This record gives sequence, structure tokens and C-alpha cells, in this order.
Amino acid sequence: MNPSSIPALDDPESLPFDLMEVPGLGRLLRWRYARPLLQAPLLIVSIVMILHGLFGPTLAPKNLATTLSWLHFRGVLLLVLLCAGNFFCLACPFMLVRQAARHLFKPRFDWPRVLRNKWLSVALFVLILFAYELFDLWSSPWWTAWLIIAYFLTVLVVDGFFKHASFCKFVCPIGQFNFVASTLSPLEVKVRDQDVCTSCQTKDCIRGRRDTASDLVVIRGCELALFQPRKVGNMDCTFCLDCVHACPHDNVGILSRLPGTELLTDPLRSGIGYFSHRKDIAALAIVFTFGALLNAFGMVSPVYAVEGWLGRMLHVSHEAPVLGIIFAFFLILEPVLLLGLAAWSTLALGGTRRALLPLMVRYTYGLVPMGFGMWLAHYGFHFLTGLYTILPVTQSALLRLGLPLLGEPRWTLVGLPSRIVLVIEIGFLLLGLAGSLVVSYGLAETDSPRKPMLAFVPWAAVSLILWSASMWLMFQPMEMRATMMGG
Amino acid sequence: MAFTCRRSRRPARPLPKESRKLLVCVCTATLLLAHCSKPASSSSEVTIEHEISPEPARVGPVVITLRLADSVAKAITGAHIMLEGDMSHAGMAPVFGEAKEIAPGRYQASLTLEMPGDWVILLHVTMPGGQKLERQIDVKGVRPN
Repeated sequence: MNPSSIPALDDPESLPFDLMEVPGLGRLLRWRYARPLLQAPLLIVSIVMILHGLFGPTLAPKNLATTLSWLHFRGVLLLVLLCAGNFFCLACPFMLVRQAARHLFKPRFDWPRVLRNKWLSVALFVLILFAYELFDLWSSPWWTAWLIIAYFLTVLVVDGFFKHASFCKFVCPIGQFNFVASTLSPLEVKVRDQDVCTSCQTKDCIRGRRDTASDLVVIRGCELALFQPRKVGNMDCTFCLDCVHACPHDNVGILSRLPGTELLTDPLRSGIGYFSHRKDIAALAIVFTFGALLNAFGMVSPVYAVEGWLGRMLHVSHEAPVLGIIFAFFLILEPVLLLGLAAWSTLALGGTRRALLPLMVRYTYGLVPMGFGMWLAHYGFHFLTGLYTILPVTQSALLRLGLPLLGEPRWTLVGLPSRIVLVIEIGFLLLGLAGSLVVSYGLAETDSPRKPMLAFVPWAAVSLILWSASMWLMFQPMEMRATMMGG
Repeated sequence: MAFTCRRSRRPARPLPKESRKLLVCVCTATLLLAHCSKPASSSSEVTIEHEISPEPARVGPVVITLRLADSVAKAITGAHIMLEGDMSHAGMAPVFGEAKEIAPGRYQASLTLEMPGDWVILLHVTMPGGQKLERQIDVKGVRPN
């Protein structure tokens, strides 16, 4: 990006919007206990979901665990990421429990050096997608409740043993999903004035603010090792606002920006390094993008034909190996073929100096908007078509408790009509395609300044292939079955 | 082939006391929660047999025939049966129907299954004496038309 295009800070017209300057809201977010305040309601909801999942109705549409997890949480999460930023991580209920536990158990260990990357979380991300299909988590309140419990226990174990935010940075699959998606969010936690940071002596945003008398840290700095003046974009930022609270100069805000710009550039990022050197983050972007299609593919009619055919070919009746092959195709073979071919074409046509693998890594980030569009289309569909179902499920749960506060359940309340939601889905997919084309072209301009169009064409083709596949998926008849191999 | 156990020269460092406490707490919580099992379906002296047509079920109207009998296999007449069809995924529109008694103890209802996949049909039965009971019929793999 041309430095001259960065707006000057002294021009009031060009100053970005700062969420922290919104009257009332800014004051609330600056309050030291803003995070627990936001986390507490979500913790209560999580507990209710666990209890209802374990002891409530076994039918998914009647249970709060499945309705909230697989309809409302996923839909709201993506819409908030699209319209604002990574505010779910800010209000993460798991971290509230961890924080309370840390009053009792002080972590002693540093996260192992060999695991200081995204490979473990990529594997866990794939594992969750796999378990979702294999155990039909969407249809089981009991397993959904156990998934939430497992999450709480894992947080307690990981952050009980290891210092800082090891779970968030290196383990949490939801967090990694949010980090990748938030590269396309319009808001970013960022310093307002770099000059203030240059003259800062204490660096409280990373070291934490210390009490002058006891020298103990009273407000912690960034636990994810993001040093604000050198932080670029939203990757690895949980919006926890520790830096906002620690900064003695009130120089950190939640600023607006053009979504996706951080994917275009490749500066040295604090706590991350160079995107182009991070094969693990590129792998995360691949799972994010291709996993979006895979997750939707698991819910349409053709998947059963494919599974049946594979089962007959391999003479297996168990779903796991067949599902494993489908996952390997979607998350390994397909990306390697598509991205390898595109990178090879760019090398041949675009005259870039990079080797094949670094080139693939670099351009993989250009596909993130397409993946985000597909997640939005898929989860947006479930959220919007089942928008009102939360009301009868809550009515029914209260009734079972003998508290008819909201009256008899109105099971006919469902959501928006599919024909309207389909238009919104197509809009999300078009938005994703446009974003991928813009980012890919930006990368081509930087990498192959002499022949940007020739370098861009192969990646545009990959984006179009993914978009076409997404559109095809959206028009397939939905078929939700727990018995995939049944015929 | 002989396997040897390689011993580290350094003695293993025991876990700090707090970490051991944490492990104990987590294990205890897991065991306690694992004790929570799926609620068993309630048993009843009423038997309900069902038939669905077409078999296997396809998207569109299906006819459900129910046969209600008591513990000595005597047909139960005069029951009121409401049917509710739900998909196994949350957020899908349920379908409703009411069964009519077509012969003593035999009831029939029609439901329109609007989507392929797994369906669950809930029977809300009100017995002649006012006693209420609920039963669930799993209709797996409803096929597209």
C-alpha cells in the first residue's frame, strides 16, 4: 500500500471512527470491569445450555443447547464479525471461568516452544468439523452440552498450567476462526497516535501497568504478545481491551478501517511475524475457506450419494473412514491442486520472484473473503430461517421448570422465509467473491508490479471456482440426516 | 525384540501443588458431570404401533396410521392425538396434524414433510380419561421427491 494513501492524523475529516469515543459506550469499555460485565451473561447462558442439553428434551429443535449453539450463536458471531469485530472473544465466557480459576491456581509453565504456532489449533478446528459430521452434533443436545463442558475443562487445564493466554493464542479453534474472520472486520484495536507510543517509556500495553510502590502488575498488558505500536490488523487480537486499560496515555482505541486491508500487506506483525512466512496461518486460512464449503456440503443431498458410493467402493459400512476421505479431499487434495496450479500459473505468467510454496502461502490469504462469504451464507441461512425459534424453546424450558412466564410455547414461530434468506445468501457469496478478487489483485499488484493482471488471473479463477461451488451448494436441497451410510 | 525403558538422568520434577489441585478439580468435575446420563424415555402401559405410508417416506404428504392398545392388548378408543413433525436440526419449521379414529383403536393422520432428511414425529396423546402421554416416532432418511 502506498504510504501517501494513509490519511494524515491532523486532518479531522480523515480521522477514523473510534468506538471508544461513542458517548456512554466508550466509557463503559474503558471501565476495568467491562469485560467481566459482558462475559457474565454469556456464562449464565452457557450454564443454562449445558443444563438443558444434559437434562432437557432430547430433540434438538426443542433444546436450548442445540438451538442456541447451532443457530443463534454461529449466526450472531458471524454477523458481529462482519459488521464490527471480534467481540465474541471479548465476551468469551470461558475466559471468565479461567480468570476466576487463576485466583486459585497460578500457572507456572511457559507454553512449549514447539507448539507456539497454529498447527495444533488447525488440527482441533478440523477435528471439531469432523466430529460435527460424524456425531451429528447438531442433532444431539447431550453431545452439544458435552462439547461446551469439554471447552470449559480444556480452558481450565491449558490456562491453569500455562502462563498468559496460551489457550486463546495456540489452542482455541473458535478463537482461530474469529481471528481469520476478523481480518475482514471493519473495526480494529489500534493506537490512535504513533508519536505518543514513540515517546512512551513504560510500554504498559505489553508489559502491564505496575504499581509504583510494590512494582506488581495491577493491570496486565497484552497476553497474546501483541505490542500495540507494531500490531497490524486483527489476527490474534481477542479485543480483550487489556491494552486499552493499561495504556497510561489513553492512546488505544477501537478504530474503523477498510475491511481486509491487513490481508493485502505483509509487514512484520507484532506477535505474529510475516504472514508470508507463516505456513501454519496459511493452513488455517485454507481450513477456514475450504472448510466453509465442506461444512455446507455435509448438509445437502449429494453428500449421501457420495458417501454411499464411497462406502460401496471401499466395502465399508462405518461412516468415519468415508468421512475421512471426504475431509482429505476437501481440505488437502482440493486446496493443493487448486492453489498449486494457480501458484504455478502465476509463476509462469506473472514473473514473480517468489518460489512456489511461498507464493501459495502469500495468495492463500486472498481466499479468506470467499470463505467468510460462504460461512456467512450457510450460518446466516440457519440463523435467519430459525430466528424466532429461540422464543418457543425458551417458553418450553420455562414451562418444564413450572415457570410459565412467557406462556405456552408457540412452535409455529420459526424465522424468515427461505426465499428471502436465499437472496441474502447470494449477497454474502457475491460479497465474498468481490473481497477475494480485490485482495488477490492487490497481492498481484505488490508481487508482480509489471504484470499484475497475469498474476491475478489464476487466483481470480480459483475464487470463481469456489464461488461457483458455493452457489451450487446453496441451491442443493438441504437434507439433514444422522444416518449417512444408511442408504 | 527387547524393549528397554530409558531413564532420565534428571529426576522428574513433580507438578506444583496448585497444578495438582487443578487436575484433581477438573477430574472431579468431569466425573460428576459424566454421571449425568441421558434421561430415559418414560415407560407406559399404553402401546402405540405405527405405520407410515409411503415406506420409505418421501418429501410430501405422508399418512401415519396408529394403533393404540392397553396392557392387555385391548384397543383404546376415543383418544385425541395431535402430531408434530420436527426435523432433527433446530430451526426448521415443524408441521402439525391431528389424527382421526378410523376404526376402534386405529387412528390416521396426514403430515406434509417438506424437506428430505431425518424427521421426528411427536405424538401428543390425550387418553379418554384425560391422561396425557407423549411418544416419539423416528422417521429416518426421508427421501427427496
